[in-house]
Amino acid sequence: MTADERPVFVPDPDVAARSQMADFLATCARETGNTFDGWPAFSRWSAACWRDFWRLFVQWAAPEVEGDAEPVCEGDAIETATFFPGLRLSYAGNLLREIPGREDAVALVARDESGRRVEWTRRALRARVEAAARGLRAAGIGPGDHVVAIARNDDAAIVACLAATGLGATWSSIGPDQGPESVLARFRQLDPCLLFTAGSHPYQGASRPLVDKLHAVVEGLPTVRRLVSLDGDVEALRGLPPPVTTLAALEAGGAALPAFPWPRVPFNHPLFVMFSSGTTGAPKCIVHGVGGTLLEHLKEQRLHSDFRSGDRLLFTTSCGWMMWNWQLSALASDTAIVAYDGSPTFPTPDALWRVVADERATVFGTSPAFLQYCRDTALVPREAADLSCLRAVQSTGSVLSDRLYDWVAENVGSLPLQSISGGTDILGCFVLGNPLLPVHRGEAQSVSLGLDVRSLRPPDAPAEAVGELVCCNPFPSRPLGLHADPDGARFHAAYFAQNEGLWTHGDFVVLTRHGGARILGRSDGVMNIRGIRIGPAEIYAILLDVPEVRLAMAVEQIAPEEPGGTRLVLLLVLRDGVVLDRPLTLRIKKEISRRASMVHVPALVVAVDDLPATHNGKMSERAARDAVNGRQPANLQALRNPGCLEALRSHPELGGRFAERGA
Amino acid sequence: MTRAEMRQMLIDWLDDHYHFGEAEAKIGHDDASFLDNGVLDSLGFVALVVHLEDRFHITIDRKNLNRENFDSVNKILAYLEARTGGAS
Repeated sequence: MTADERPVFVPDPDVAARSQMADFLATCARETGNTFDGWPAFSRWSAACWRDFWRLFVQWAAPEVEGDAEPVCEGDAIETATFFPGLRLSYAGNLLREIPGREDAVALVARDESGRRVEWTRRALRARVEAAARGLRAAGIGPGDHVVAIARNDDAAIVACLAATGLGATWSSIGPDQGPESVLARFRQLDPCLLFTAGSHPYQGASRPLVDKLHAVVEGLPTVRRLVSLDGDVEALRGLPPPVTTLAALEAGGAALPAFPWPRVPFNHPLFVMFSSGTTGAPKCIVHGVGGTLLEHLKEQRLHSDFRSGDRLLFTTSCGWMMWNWQLSALASDTAIVAYDGSPTFPTPDALWRVVADERATVFGTSPAFLQYCRDTALVPREAADLSCLRAVQSTGSVLSDRLYDWVAENVGSLPLQSISGGTDILGCFVLGNPLLPVHRGEAQSVSLGLDVRSLRPPDAPAEAVGELVCCNPFPSRPLGLHADPDGARFHAAYFAQNEGLWTHGDFVVLTRHGGARILGRSDGVMNIRGIRIGPAEIYAILLDVPEVRLAMAVEQIAPEEPGGTRLVLLLVLRDGVVLDRPLTLRIKKEISRRASMVHVPALVVAVDDLPATHNGKMSERAARDAVNGRQPANLQALRNPGCLEALRSHPELGGRFAERGA
Repeated sequence: MTRAEMRQMLIDWLDDHYHFGEAEAKIGHDDASFLDNGVLDSLGFVALVVHLEDRFHITIDRKNLNRENFDSVNKILAYLEARTGGAS
C-alpha cells in the first residue's frame, strides 16, 4: 500500500462503537436476524431491503408522527412511489419539539462579519417561531401558499421559514447577492403571496443595500400581497404597493394571539420549493415533501454525521443553497445551528476559523473553494484558533481534491474530512460521511444508507471506471415533482428519461473499492464553478439583449491554473462583421454580472465560427464541453456539424492549453 | 516592463475579473485602498497574487500578502518593481 492509498483518517474504535450508526446497525441486526458482517453487508441490505430499512429507521429515530407507518411505500417505481401515505407530521414541530433538560441549551446562534451576535435557547427559539406563525396565520398564510424570501443566513430567516412551513405553506429562498432577473426567474413561477426580505447585507466590511433590487423584484411579483422586512429596514420597501410589516411586528402581534399546536400535515405535503440551475430554460421549481425531507436529513445527520445533543453545526451557506435547508434539520437532532452571514475572510483570512473556535463548533461545513483559499494563503487554522471542540469537517459543492485531505490533516487537525454530495434535486446526499469507516483521499466515505446508488459505466469498463450516478430504488426524499408540471412530463424528462426507471442525477461518479465514492463533476449541461451551480440558460437569456451575439454556449472547462478547479467559458458566434474586441467582451461580462451575479461571469469569452448542434437543431453543450476539455465527444453522429469541435479543441485560447499540458 | 505598462496590466486584470471596464473609476486614485473602496475582497487578493506570480514568474510569500504590499495600485507596483527590478 502506497502512502497515498493509506487512509488519511481512521476513526477511534471506541468512538465508532458509540456512534448512532453502530447503534442503528445493531438494532437492524437484532430486528431482522441478520449478522451484517461488516459495513458492505449492511449497506447492501439497506438498499436491497429498503422497505425494512425505512420502517426500522422510523422506529429507531422516533420522529413525532401520527398515523399508520404501514405501508412503508406504495409502488416500486422510483418515479411514482409514495412513502408512508398513512403518516402525518409537522416539520417545525419535530425540529422544535420539547426536550426535557435541554430547553435552556442554546439552539441557534446567528453571527455576521460586522460582529453582530445573538443566540436563542431551544425554548426561546420555539417561542419566537410560534409567535411568528400566529402572526402569519392571522395574516392569512396557510397550506397551499407559497412564501418566498430574499434572506441572509441569520436567525430571522430561520424563524420565518419555520413559522411559514409550520403552517403548511411552502418556503423558497434566495440569497441577497442574486440579481433581480435571477430572483424573478425563480419566484415568478410560484405566484407567491408573501415576500420576506432583508433590506441590506454585509460583505467585506460594507453594508450592501437591496433597495433597487427589491423594487424590481416586487414589481415583477404581482401576486405578492404582503411584504415582511426580516431586519426591520422598512425604508428599503417604502413606496412599494403591497402592505409592509416586519418580522418583529408579526412576532409581537402573534405573541398576543392564542397558541395552537403545530398542524400535522400528510407525509407528502409540500415543504420546500428549491430551484434548479436552469440548463435549458427557466430554473425548475423542485417540490420537496415534509416527511421525505425530515427522514432523509435525520438519516444523514444522525447516522452518517452522528449529530446529537450538544453538537454545534456551522455550515457556510447562503439562503439560496440547499445546505441552508439541510442545516435547519439539525435542530431535530438537538444539534445547535451557528448561522454565519457575510464574508468568510473578513476582516482577516482566518475570520471564519475564529468563529468556529469562538462558537465551539463541533462540525464545520464548508466548500473545496474555501479550503483551497486557506491553502493558497498558507493559513494554519489550528494555530490561528482553538479548534479543540471540532470533531469533523464536511465539504460539499464541488470536487474535493486529494491534496486538500492532506492539508486538513496537517493544518486543521486529526479529524475526518467528509466529502458529501447530492444536491438540490434530492435535498440531500447520495454519498457522504460515515463514523464507522476510514477516510481515503479524494473519496466520500460511503453511499447513503437505503439508496441503491450505482455507477452506470460503459460496457466492459472496469469496476472503478467513471460512470453516470444513478439511484436504482425508491427513496423518500425524491421530490414530489416539479411545480406547474401536472402530468409530470418535465419531471420525467429531468430525472428519468435518460435511463428509464432509474433516477439519473447528472453527476459523474467512481465507486471505489473502499466502498466510498469520488464525484467527478457534472455529466449534464449544468456548470459547477467553485461550488456554485450555474445553468447556462440564465446566461443565454441575458445575451439575447446583446445584438452582436448570434449564438452562445457556456461550458465548464478545467482551469489549468487551479488544480481541481474549473472555469466558465463563454463561446460566441457573432453576427457578420462583428469583432470580439475588448469593449464588447467587457460589456458582455458587465451585463451578466449586473443581471445575474458575479459567479455567472465567464472567465473567458471566445469568438468561434460555429457551435455543435444536433440534427434537429438542439445545441450540444456536452459535445462542446468535451472538446474544450480535450476529451473525445461521444456520439459524434448525432451532431450535424461535428467539424466545429476540432476548431474548439485547437482554438489558441482553448485547445492550446491541452497541447501544452499534453492532455 | 515599464511602470506604466505594469499599471495597465493591473487595470486590465481588474477589468477582466471584477469591474468590466470600470476599474479606473472604482480605484479613484493610485493611493486609494483597494479593500476600503471595494476594489478587491480578500478572495480577490489571492486571485491577483496567483496571477502576478504567473505573469512575472515570481513566488510571493503569503506572509507578504498584506495591506502594506497589495492594498493600492502604487503599493502593488512598488512591490512588483522591488521583486522584478522594474522589468520582467
